[in-house]
Amino acid sequence: MKRNPLTLVIGILLIIIFGLWLFVFQVRTTEVAVVTRFGNPTRPITEPGAYGKLPWPIEKVWTFDKRVQNFEDQLTERQTRDNFTLLMAVYVGWKITDPAAFFPKFVSSDDPIKEAERQLDRLLGNAKAAAIGRHPLSDFISASGNGTNFVGIENEILTTLQSQVQANNYGLEIEFLGIKRLQLPSNVSQSVFDRMTEERKRLAEQLQNEGDAEAQNIRSEAGRKAQEMLATARGQATEIKGKGVAEATKSLAVFQQNPELASFLLRLNALEGSLKERSILVFDQNMPPFDLLRGGTTNWLSK
Amino acid sequence: MNDQPHSHDEPPELAGPPETPVDAGSQALSEALRSSFAIIRFVMIVLVVVFFASGFFTVGPAQRAIILRFGKPLHEGEKALLGPGKLHWSFPYPIDEVVKVNIAGIQTVESTTGWYAETPEQRASGIEPPAPQGTPLNPAVDGYVLTADDNIIHTRATLTYRISEPVRYVFGFVNASNAVQNAVDNAVLWAASQFKVDDVLTHDVAGFQEAVRRRAVQLIEKQDLGVTVEQCVVQSIRPRQLKDAFDQVTSAEQGRGKALIAAHSAENQITNQASADARSLIKLAEIDRDQMVKDMAAQAERFRDILPQYQRSPALFVQQQLSETLGRVLTNAQDKIFVAEGADGKPRELRLLFNREFTKRTP
Repeated sequence: MKRNPLTLVIGILLIIIFGLWLFVFQVRTTEVAVVTRFGNPTRPITEPGAYGKLPWPIEKVWTFDKRVQNFEDQLTERQTRDNFTLLMAVYVGWKITDPAAFFPKFVSSDDPIKEAERQLDRLLGNAKAAAIGRHPLSDFISASGNGTNFVGIENEILTTLQSQVQANNYGLEIEFLGIKRLQLPSNVSQSVFDRMTEERKRLAEQLQNEGDAEAQNIRSEAGRKAQEMLATARGQATEIKGKGVAEATKSLAVFQQNPELASFLLRLNALEGSLKERSILVFDQNMPPFDLLRGGTTNWLSK
Repeated sequence: MNDQPHSHDEPPELAGPPETPVDAGSQALSEALRSSFAIIRFVMIVLVVVFFASGFFTVGPAQRAIILRFGKPLHEGEKALLGPGKLHWSFPYPIDEVVKVNIAGIQTVESTTGWYAETPEQRASGIEPPAPQGTPLNPAVDGYVLTADDNIIHTRATLTYRISEPVRYVFGFVNASNAVQNAVDNAVLWAASQFKVDDVLTHDVAGFQEAVRRRAVQLIEKQDLGVTVEQCVVQSIRPRQLKDAFDQVTSAEQGRGKALIAAHSAENQITNQASADARSLIKLAEIDRDQMVKDMAAQAERFRDILPQYQRSPALFVQQQLSETLGRVLTNAQDKIFVAEGADGKPRELRLLFNREFTKRTP
């Protein structure tokens, strides 16, 4: 009496679980799926969620990762339009968008993603070769143009690859593509080194010469400036002295009161000034005060 | 009555025990079944509780969680992200699936294609492995980039980023960090392709770094990687093979700097000297002027004082002044020669030979 409902519940639960397991499948948000009926792809599913299906062996579900895959190819060697040899490697972001188209082409492989990348690699080889051959080296590396040519080449490869992938109906989409490495063959890099060494030598000499010339320039400019300053100062000094003379002349008015005395005083000053040192005086008895020596004291007194 | 009920009561009591030996096995079985069913029921209830309780989960401080119901995110956009600080609940698998993503951690990627081959030990020690001149670069192992002026240099960008859109980062890419790294590699290559070697290495290091960062950010946005770039640091060096040649330029640059510094200090000295000289010239002129004015004023003053005396007796005054002055002059004079009048009353002749000064000049 008590046993029956419990077993019933358990039984029904088990049947439901088993049924769900047989008839329902999930597609995760990171996946796409395709349902095959007797091996034939019938329903592609690109949106995540729970879906119904007929049980195996009638229908079978294949799921694939639909996230963006990273693929990097190997360095390949190609000639540019102006005959430089370039080695280039690119990276590609791609993803599965059409599981129904992807499934028949790659499902037979152990690793469909790897197999798809092998196909991409093949297409990429051609696309790269074509793009490199169309451009001179100066489109890859150039100080002008802000790298637009560089991006242009990437876009060319991308466009070629996209159209090829579409033409082959692989069920893939190329999300983005970029150049990862850009190099020169070993022997060419050696000659680049030689040229760089020469350039460095030239640059070192140039720097030295420039430095010398510039230093010389600074010095002579300083000399010129100094001369200028002194000349200005001399001019100012003369002017100042001139003003002094003008000011001093004002005092001359006093001397006008008695020019005779003024003249005497000036001469007296001049006399004293000119006989200050190392002078030899020769004079006779007519010169005062030596006129005293002409006669005796009494004589003078008698006068 | 008393016995009867006893006797009546007893048979069932006695009848019980006789039954036991008869059906002991089945009774034990049913007992066991009953208790095991009880246990099963208990276990089932526990299981159901555990089943639903297992749906509770928390989110770490640096994490966000996303619930996938039947493989599909439960909500769209920002609402899909469950943060920390709350107890969350989801149906257990296979109905719901909880995906946790670390977001706060700063992630770092480094460009791989622009640097020469080195072992981790060499990297850690910071010593660059020697490469004498003439060692070629092997494209298979040695990375480098080409500059706009066809030079070869090594450069390495380290980009730090944070996951800003976890849904996109986790569900959009098989390996999003790898995609970030490719973007950095491409950015380094692209930036180098338009910079000249000296700009990258010395003149415009910041500009080059900015170009790398700009391109990396642009690619990351275009490819919608769901990350935000925090920082981009770029390190660039000349090829090891050309160390000497590049060092020469560096020392020439330093020499130039030194010459310029010396020239500038000479310039300072010359102009300072000149301005000091100029100042002293002016100062002297000013002193001269003041002196002259003062002298003249003093003389005028003296003249004014003397004038009354002179006017009283001009001849005597002149005589007195002259004598005083001559007296002073004679005291100072080195040689004094007095030529007296001859007996005949005629002046005498005197011949002088000056040689004191001139002997010095003619050896």
